[in-house]
Amino acid sequence: MLGFSDSWVFAGFAFMIASALFCVVYGILNWRKGGIEK
Amino acid sequence: MFYLITFTLIYLAITVYFSYLGYRRTVTVSDYLLAGRQVHPVTMGLSYGATYISTSAIIGFGGVSALYGFGLTWLAFLNIMIGVWVAFVIFGKRTRKMGKALDAHTFPELLGRRYESRFIQGFSGLVILIFMPVYTAAVLIGISRFIEVYLNIPFSTAFLAFLLITACFVIWGGLKGVLYTSAFQGVIMVVSMVAIGISTYYSLGGISQAHRSLEAITPMVPHYLQEAGHRGFTSMPQVFSSIWWYVLTTMIMGVGIGVIGQPQLNVRFMTLKSDRELNRSVPFTAIFILCTTGVAYAVGALTNVYFYNTYTELPLHAVQGNLDKIIPLYIDRFYPQWFVALFLVCLMSAAMSAGSSQFHALGTSLSRDIFEQALLKGKSVAETTIVTRIGIVLSIFATLIIGLVLPESIVAVATAFFFSLCGATFIPVYLFGLYWKRGTKPAAKASILSGFFVSLIWMLLFHEEEARAFGLCRKIFNMESLAGHPWNMIDPQIIALPISFIVFIVVSLVTRPVREETVAKAFIHI
Repeated sequence: MLGFSDSWVFAGFAFMIASALFCVVYGILNWRKGGIEK
Repeated sequence: MFYLITFTLIYLAITVYFSYLGYRRTVTVSDYLLAGRQVHPVTMGLSYGATYISTSAIIGFGGVSALYGFGLTWLAFLNIMIGVWVAFVIFGKRTRKMGKALDAHTFPELLGRRYESRFIQGFSGLVILIFMPVYTAAVLIGISRFIEVYLNIPFSTAFLAFLLITACFVIWGGLKGVLYTSAFQGVIMVVSMVAIGISTYYSLGGISQAHRSLEAITPMVPHYLQEAGHRGFTSMPQVFSSIWWYVLTTMIMGVGIGVIGQPQLNVRFMTLKSDRELNRSVPFTAIFILCTTGVAYAVGALTNVYFYNTYTELPLHAVQGNLDKIIPLYIDRFYPQWFVALFLVCLMSAAMSAGSSQFHALGTSLSRDIFEQALLKGKSVAETTIVTRIGIVLSIFATLIIGLVLPESIVAVATAFFFSLCGATFIPVYLFGLYWKRGTKPAAKASILSGFFVSLIWMLLFHEEEARAFGLCRKIFNMESLAGHPWNMIDPQIIALPISFIVFIVVSLVTRPVREETVAKAFIHI
């Protein structure tokens, strides 16, 4: 996959990109949440 | 030289402008220490990322990935998942709320006020003051090595010049100046690193082809590395081999987990006015980390293909074993001169954004955590910013001395050392302080002390990397390390952090909790 023969290295590469996408989705879903305390 | 002077002057002019803007807008002590708790999410995301990802990641860990290969993508995963999502969402939100409730202005002050302990604040400040200059020196060595390769001037001259430039910005600007300049520097870093990533993969025929080319040179891995467990640049090291333990526990977990205990990063959460800004900062920071560390680690590994195809030797041999010179040499040899000058500006950005935040944290540790708490018994005085600036000047001298005595190939090692030490010392008290009302003052003291001293003892006597450098074990026991394989390769944090956690829980269960009023005040917004 993607030129990697070692599945652990491919997993690291995939997790790296997936974690960034996860953070982007998290930010979008929570864009309006969390106001200032009174 | 024309490109270098032009780009550098433009960069410095804009940086001076932002620093001046920060200086003009710094009126109160809170402005100086926390940027008035009114920071924009994009500014927060870029400045947090630029502080977290320094020349250490690009030069130091880029060089490490040139040696160990693509296994370091697991570190990039932890950089994003732990360093951004866990740090912001699990720790950051409560840090912001508790910091405001307890009126804390520094990370040690947050811990000290949460557990009603001046000792915790003073000791934490002291740990930062003594050990952070090692990390700061590593960051500045990163860019100094590039200047050494590019301009062919002595390393010590480059190191001294850049140290003074960085220090000037933070002395006058306060945290507002640091935030404005580091956000601008973050933009430069993203643009430069994305350009390097795209050009590297493009000229090697695309992503899959580049990785296949790298796999093809596996037989070129030096024999001594193969014996230690190296299985090529597109494979993880042999499981349980000495290289596997080192890469996994020190390079990946040491830095990947230790980020949670970084004082200069945790203080950033207290600069935001609401959780909304924090939520909005998460995607910007994550993309920033992916574009900088993800690219640095991938390009670091792929330099092997370039050097082998051009010179029929690996970059490890081209730099005579000094890993800190691999990325500088790669950029210098394979890119046009205008881009080399631009990359130098990128490294200046990385070094100045991280270095200035570290100097700021060092200065506030002396003024707020040691001077006010330990010496004045908690009395707040108007001279705080003056003492902070004195602290910064002292830190500059400490950084200068450390930077000039550290050996070669040290950038990633020194970074892992500081991240590991902070992780074992601060993470348990920090986590339980935010989430467990039953945590006690004696438990916090015992946990911090056990995490710190177990780390230190493990470094001095067991972990071969540091034990060999310090030489104490050799002097006393006439051997490099008291432990054999694999213990001599396991990072101190892997040993000290669980001990620190257990100590906190056990001592908390048998000692008196913190006063109810203090706990109620700390959790008032949570």
